[in-house]
Amino acid sequence: MVKTINTVAVLGASGTVGSLSGGLIAQNGLKVYFLSRTQEGSERGLQRAISQARSEFIAQNIVCGDYEHLLKEAVAEADWVVEAIAEDVGIKQQLYERVEAYKRPQTIVSSTTSSLPLSELVKGRSAEFKKNFLSTHFYNPPGRMLACEITGIEETDLAVVDFMRAFLVNRLRRAIIPVKNIPAFAGNRIGFVLFGRITSLAREFGVEMMDYLIGPYTGRLMGPLATLDLVGLDIHKAIIDSLAEHTKDAMHSWLTVPEYINTMLQRKLLGYKTKGGFYKKLESGKYVFLDPATCDYVPAIEPHVAFVEKAKHFIRMGMYREAFDVILSAQGSEAEVVKDILCAYVAYSYSLVGEVTDDRIGIEGIDDVMSYGFNWAAPSVIVDMLGGPEAAAELLVKKGLKVPDTLKAGLKSHFSIVNSGKYFVAK
Amino acid sequence: MGGYQTDFARNWARENKHIAAMMREAYQGSIEATKLDAGDIKAAFIGNFAGELYCMQGHLGAFFVDFDPRFVGLPTMRFEAACASGAIASLSAMAHIQAGIHDLACVIGVELMKTVDSAKGGDFLGTAAWYEKESVGIEFPFPKLFGKLGDEYDKRYGLDNKYLARIAEINYSNAKHNPNAQTRDWFMNLEHACATGKYNSVVSGRIKVTDCSQITDGAVCLYLASETYAAKYAKQRGLALKDIPRILGWGHTTAPMEFARKIADSADGEYVLPMTRKAITDAYHRAGIKDCWELDAIETHDCFTTSEYMAIDHFGLTKPGRSWEAIENGVIEINGKLPINASGGLIGCGHPVGATGVRQLLDAYKQIAGNAGNYQVPNAKRVATLNIGGSATTNVCFIVGVGIDG
Repeated sequence: MVKTINTVAVLGASGTVGSLSGGLIAQNGLKVYFLSRTQEGSERGLQRAISQARSEFIAQNIVCGDYEHLLKEAVAEADWVVEAIAEDVGIKQQLYERVEAYKRPQTIVSSTTSSLPLSELVKGRSAEFKKNFLSTHFYNPPGRMLACEITGIEETDLAVVDFMRAFLVNRLRRAIIPVKNIPAFAGNRIGFVLFGRITSLAREFGVEMMDYLIGPYTGRLMGPLATLDLVGLDIHKAIIDSLAEHTKDAMHSWLTVPEYINTMLQRKLLGYKTKGGFYKKLESGKYVFLDPATCDYVPAIEPHVAFVEKAKHFIRMGMYREAFDVILSAQGSEAEVVKDILCAYVAYSYSLVGEVTDDRIGIEGIDDVMSYGFNWAAPSVIVDMLGGPEAAAELLVKKGLKVPDTLKAGLKSHFSIVNSGKYFVAK
Repeated sequence: MGGYQTDFARNWARENKHIAAMMREAYQGSIEATKLDAGDIKAAFIGNFAGELYCMQGHLGAFFVDFDPRFVGLPTMRFEAACASGAIASLSAMAHIQAGIHDLACVIGVELMKTVDSAKGGDFLGTAAWYEKESVGIEFPFPKLFGKLGDEYDKRYGLDNKYLARIAEINYSNAKHNPNAQTRDWFMNLEHACATGKYNSVVSGRIKVTDCSQITDGAVCLYLASETYAAKYAKQRGLALKDIPRILGWGHTTAPMEFARKIADSADGEYVLPMTRKAITDAYHRAGIKDCWELDAIETHDCFTTSEYMAIDHFGLTKPGRSWEAIENGVIEINGKLPINASGGLIGCGHPVGATGVRQLLDAYKQIAGNAGNYQVPNAKRVATLNIGGSATTNVCFIVGVGIDG
């Protein structure tokens, strides 16, 4: 096993994940090879990394090149190879074959994927390669999102996982979430089940109203549909489809892509990257919103629901529990949908303790990934906001949700309402 | 008695939070951290520079009584002395306790600054100088004034900017170990701090972006107690009274407002800012220590790299004008002979103006209590703070310590 990491080769450095995670590594003083299919692509990645660091001087730590000319040299020198290329099993397998030909025996290889089966990626690779292979799933952009899920395959040497975990914490200051090697790991599994439900509900409530009701005041920095615009609707569909295929649990029926989203994909309404998704910014600076019924854009309705406004006022004054008391005592279909989503978040998150993360870390792994990876208040904090485990359990029963044993157990977390104030935004 | 600092990396304006929300979170965090009985709090002292400008809100003491039903009726008050507002609030709480008026006082320093753009914020900060003479029509008055401080050092003693860059690098480096520091995830190295360019532009004179402290939203809440209360607290928790950090000494001076007059007044002296030096030596005297070498750490007011450069010789780490020696010899580094700003200081940790003096005092407490985490100075028993307002107009130095003589 490698003893230290001094040099890193990033494969797929032209992309966002590769360039920004590579930039993060370079920012922390390591030599990093930025590799992609073309020199120009790698240099574009370098510019993105410079912009993230806000300093040209990280370029001193970065060597750009293409696979044809630099792969052999870079991989031979690297202590750690980070693969962040296109999400395609075949393409990854081909590149891994080349990496194996050049790498030193102990060199660690990690993939940034969370959606492809890891054991498939290393099919045909040697026992030694598999022993040093794992996934390091950085959340984007790593300059702002600290979460990194980590897991190995069956053949991975546990000492390698432990070594990388310590390195990522101590050197790159990541919030590490050890996860089990199952599709989507922890964060995307939970987040996208909820996104699936919210996109369905948007047919009934409309895009603007949905993001208003499940807005930042409920414990997230952005409205969920605005978040999907940032993620990209094509990525959203790919993750939902993959989860629907590879997972089976009580929330499986929420893993659907409504027909209107397929229409959006056909019309290339993918989100920010196509300057139009659920939201579209006009030249005037104003926003119009997608109408799921027609897939045309409609003017803002500027919703005003009394309990939401009252809750937002309490959030603005830092009175978080009081804000949730308002939500919990509110009546009507809008209030019920807010409670439905909050309860589902809690029920689903707690139900996955032990399935997506090791049960020995309780709720903390899931708390970490939802806070540091999604910028959502941790499930355990939402439980506190609902009045604690017993009150939350009662509410779940009222909502027809199964109460996970882990919720009844009152698992401890390093998150509290006080240190999670930033996730409750008065918008 | 300890306290709580909010995460200085947060943008409370973007969270659309009221300034009272910051105070409330700091207060609630402090009760969680200290496990004090809120019913014992008898008064609140609020340090804030310019709530009226940044968020159209004054009279901040009044918000305190909303935090607990038992607080209605308590005396509360707000203090303003520019960037030294936090230290002045702390001093006043201390004086009330010494006068026997209260046994347990809550001190909150708070500033919400990201409500306005940098030009507007620079103008607001200009009110900490003599606005009509030193700020009107100047985009960033304070970088200019503290650039002049560097110029004065250069004129009297010579000043190589590489030492200022090293001060910035050390503060950013320390901040990486502080979980509440604003810049903990920012990139910095010496080359970047030395260079001028797109990402490190000149603000004024020799002051570049990396020489400046940050525009920060933040609040800090801490508690000061009488010996009687501290003894009761210690007994309840099985602690020795001597192990509870206490204020051993303090100094508080005010220099003339106008920077040019300060410099003119000190023309014949050894120290560029003699009133700052006097606040420090007064604190040494009251604490019964003869010089800085009886300290284990310093939290100083590095609103700009030049102000930390000034603090080094004014604390007496070097002879006047030779601060560069302490930088070159590694004295001020976290593992050095006398670490400065283990927290990252204002440059690394952040500078929510009215909160800074309280944050420094809390960090002194943390160092002495041994709970500064990854930025702990080993075996720290005595820590000094220096909080300055305006162009070193208001100067407050505290010496905090514990149990050195058993």
